[in-house]
Amino acid sequence: MTDETTWIIQAQQGDDEAFTYLVETYQKPVYNLCYRMLGEPESAEDAAQETFLKVYQNLARYDRERSFATWLLSIAAHHCIDRLRRRRFPSVSIDEDEEGQTDIPDRFAPDPESETTKRQERESLHQCLQSLDPTDRAAVIMRYWQDFSEVEIAQALKLTVPAVKSRLHRARRALADLWEDKPAHMRTERKPYGSPAF
Amino acid sequence: MDHRPFEDWLLDNDQPLTTDQKRQLNTHLRTCSSCTTLAEMNLALKSVKLAAPEVGFSGRFQVRLAAKKHALRRRNFVGFLILTLSVLGLLGLVSWPVLKDLIQSPVNFFSSWISSLVSLWASLQALFRAGMVLFKVAPGFVPAYIWVVILFATGGWSVVWVVSLMKFTKVKQGV
Repeated sequence: MTDETTWIIQAQQGDDEAFTYLVETYQKPVYNLCYRMLGEPESAEDAAQETFLKVYQNLARYDRERSFATWLLSIAAHHCIDRLRRRRFPSVSIDEDEEGQTDIPDRFAPDPESETTKRQERESLHQCLQSLDPTDRAAVIMRYWQDFSEVEIAQALKLTVPAVKSRLHRARRALADLWEDKPAHMRTERKPYGSPAF
Repeated sequence: MDHRPFEDWLLDNDQPLTTDQKRQLNTHLRTCSSCTTLAEMNLALKSVKLAAPEVGFSGRFQVRLAAKKHALRRRNFVGFLILTLSVLGLLGLVSWPVLKDLIQSPVNFFSSWISSLVSLWASLQALFRAGMVLFKVAPGFVPAYIWVVILFATGGWSVVWVVSLMKFTKVKQGV
């Protein structure tokens, strides 16, 4: 039995300390998902906290045969999708970066210009993500940030595997179109064909 | 320009490319801006990092959880209070005529209750005596063959009932 399973069992028996371990372990992936889905640090914090509250209240229903991470992120994704549906106007924060700090380049960094470019690239990508359909966005986040397989994404979002494939295809195409429309300085200066990834 | 299979590799293929595929893709990307954008997008997505919450997330969660538990306890208490008061109010409303008599004249109330109980007891005794008389007298009026018919009818009815029960409650074996 893994440590995580032990914590889950203890938390299911009402041990709040064990649940805190789970919160500390999964706070980053849950917050990241909420931040990428909602686009604002404040909303992301609130959504991540609400996700953990829902998990706390429904922990007795968790099936230990399933992956806890998939179950947890499924709750987070559905919570964010519901929030986005309730939202009247989409809002995107461009004032703050991922750590909640203002976008001031670090002049002591080895290459401030490069740091600024990377930051702009992240911001640009973040803005592109916000224009996707919420479920497509959740699929992309799970694929690239959480490294979920298509089967895991399908389980988390209650979709079929072909539907996930189709959504990922559509989302990548839409992101590429948006990426192309961005000004050149906002896009990466790397040459894809020069990258070891290819 | 033919973008296949390069678009498929960039859009749908999550598996690492072979050396030959990489060479073909790199050659294609030098001349195709559309696929270059796709590749750039893929690179950007693959190089993203996890956003982290501000320090003290689990502490803030503990505070929120405590507040939620407190609110739940308060809601449960208020709900219990409303339910109890409602039940007591309803009981009071239903029993008000009786209570009113009890308050106005307790002696009359108890004496009327006792006399009601006594008359009920007397009625039951009279009914029992009438039944006993009927039981003693009835065999003289009813002919013997009627008794035989009643006996057989009751027996037959019981058999039909038992057989029906056995038939409908039988659990099928096998298959």
